[in-house]
Amino acid sequence: MIRFFIRISSFLGKEMTEIFRQPLLILTLVLGPFLIMSLFGLAYPDQNRALRTTFVATNPDAFQNELVLFTEAYSSTIVDQGVETDKDLALSKLALNETDLVIVIPDAPFETIQNNQQAELEVYHNEVDPFQTGYIQTIASIYVNEVNRRILQTVTEQGQADSGSLQSGLETAIAKTQELRQAVSPEDANATTQAAELEKDLTDLHENLSTFRSLASGVLVNPFSVKTSGLSGIQFTVTGFFAPSVIVLLLQHLSITFAALSIVRESRSGIMELFRVAPITAFETLVGKYLSYLFFEIVLAGIITGLAIWLLRIPILGPLQDYALAVIILLFTSLGVGFLISLISQTDTQAVQYSMLLLLASIFFSGFFLDLRLMREPITALAWSLPATYGIRMLQDVMLRGSSVPPTIFQGIALIGIVLFVVDWFLLKRKMES
Amino acid sequence: MKNDKTAENVVETQELTKSFGADVAVQSLSMYVPRGKIFGFIGPSGCGKTTTVRLLTGFYKPTSGTLSVLGKDPAAFSKSDQGKIGYLIQQFVLYPDLTVWENLNFAASFYGVSPFRRRRLNKLLDFVELSGDRNKLARDLSGGMKRRLSLAATMVHNPELLFLDEPTAGIDPILRRKFWEYFKELQADGHTLFITTQYVGEAAYCDLVGVMYEGRLLMIATPEGLRKKAYGGDVVGIKTTEGMSFEQRNQVEALPFVHGKVKVIDAQENDVIVDEASAAIPTLMEWCQAQNLNVETIEEKSPPFDDVFVKIIETEAEHD
Repeated sequence: MIRFFIRISSFLGKEMTEIFRQPLLILTLVLGPFLIMSLFGLAYPDQNRALRTTFVATNPDAFQNELVLFTEAYSSTIVDQGVETDKDLALSKLALNETDLVIVIPDAPFETIQNNQQAELEVYHNEVDPFQTGYIQTIASIYVNEVNRRILQTVTEQGQADSGSLQSGLETAIAKTQELRQAVSPEDANATTQAAELEKDLTDLHENLSTFRSLASGVLVNPFSVKTSGLSGIQFTVTGFFAPSVIVLLLQHLSITFAALSIVRESRSGIMELFRVAPITAFETLVGKYLSYLFFEIVLAGIITGLAIWLLRIPILGPLQDYALAVIILLFTSLGVGFLISLISQTDTQAVQYSMLLLLASIFFSGFFLDLRLMREPITALAWSLPATYGIRMLQDVMLRGSSVPPTIFQGIALIGIVLFVVDWFLLKRKMES
Repeated sequence: MKNDKTAENVVETQELTKSFGADVAVQSLSMYVPRGKIFGFIGPSGCGKTTTVRLLTGFYKPTSGTLSVLGKDPAAFSKSDQGKIGYLIQQFVLYPDLTVWENLNFAASFYGVSPFRRRRLNKLLDFVELSGDRNKLARDLSGGMKRRLSLAATMVHNPELLFLDEPTAGIDPILRRKFWEYFKELQADGHTLFITTQYVGEAAYCDLVGVMYEGRLLMIATPEGLRKKAYGGDVVGIKTTEGMSFEQRNQVEALPFVHGKVKVIDAQENDVIVDEASAAIPTLMEWCQAQNLNVETIEEKSPPFDDVFVKIIETEAEHD
């Protein structure tokens, strides 16, 4: 039994020594992702892109005040580039990337509305990125809502002002009704009742009108407002949101690359021939390699996490032991993928290419920047075959939502890891025996 | 090939054949290796030496025939059996980014050698004269040093039987001689060595030599026996002042202990193949005196093994 552990230790020591013999590599592995995350945070400020906007109106003076008000209210998303009277000129500026947005105000919009028709605002852009297109559509929608709101508010204010004269007329009508009720003979019960009802109706109408006039026009136009809050109570920055995903992707890629090169290099060097005739087994070899890389990468993950917490101020809201558990199972499963690549690859180049393909697949399918809930059903199977998908979900839950590792997610990745270990063991056994 | 089987043979094969598709790499190989001996397996590149070693170590399974290594079929080796074997692969397969010591330590671990092994590893480094280079990375070693490190790694678990596949290939003659000194020391320690080489001259260092050619074992013999088998007996060179006439050469060929034709080297010197040189030389001396031939030198010749090997191949070609 002792020999079993001695033989396992051979790879544990060997792999560790080989890795730690490359201090520059370790430094790159630790500082590289940290620098990337820092640059990422610096590169993307936590605010929306401001769009340079050119307005087109045949009679600019008629809308000057509204435009000033509007661009002031939306200064974070709209950079006013003035008003053009020629639509084609504005569109050519758009084509030359001199402006981001052209908003064409229709001719005589108020007349169109009075004719019981909607006045259409035309918004032009020159974007190809679907996300940017979506952003502009949202901005346009907000813009038109704002215009509608302002018009409604103006109309409401006018209505409130107009209702002032109506109210004084009502007061007169109420007084006259009271006089009428008193003039009616008490014996004429029917007439008395009708006069009393008329007086009550007029009084109610007067009170309603008072309420209408006393309400702020802004509240009348926008009676509901919205306030959104996350359960964690923290508003995450771009860096904060992407930190768990970057850590997962990095750890997965490191594990896969290290493991992918490990066995294929030994196969190429010829030492596998020696293993095959020596008393070491495929199981001992594999366990030794798993342990060595796990140990190294756990240390690496600890350093990266520490830097993220202390320098980038990324929080871990959930239990630390859950974070550790998630990282370890992610590394274990990723190593399984790496060893599988190593066992099916013929050359180093092939192993690196497979690793890069997997990284690419992970970026697109793991939910790294596109939410998995947007993905079509059959393709989600591919997503859930990647360790990164589970890793991102686990780390986001633990770090950002402050919850524990979801049991089903943990069981899923653990199952993949165990299956991969068995497959790798079988393939290595076959390689060492054939 | 007739084998002198004994209970002390650590390797025995019978009609061992290994084919790769239509290519027959080793054909009907029958041989034996006695315990405690150095067995030289000699032949040109591509003749099947490495395939034979791979069959004997269990790396390959034979196509047909039987084999026994340390009393077992290598295919049925237990971990314990595998631990009794050391295998030096032709190329350097250890890790270039590990030091000499780390490589040796790694080899010791995967053979399951006890963690209290520092003394043994130091002894091995002394043995292969790499003690001063223990902290050097393997990639910084010369070719000869790498071979010595590989040899040390092969012996790290103190195996009974060592298979050394061309351990002296590509290294200078001085180091080659040094290697053979190591091998002799290992033999003295009780190890059995199965060594392949394409340097025919190294046959002289072996106790027993097998000659391989195109996948077939042409013969097994001691180095001297190899010479004798190659030439059909001992070679005696006779140098006379006057030189031998045609009739005199015919008389020599007619002597009962002389085989074949007398080979004329030059006007004064002739080579004669005899049964036993020690017995034949006095009789030949007497014959020369009777013929009034003034003998300048008469002695047993040891043809270089290169010539012996060529002679064996030529004889084999004639038989074919």
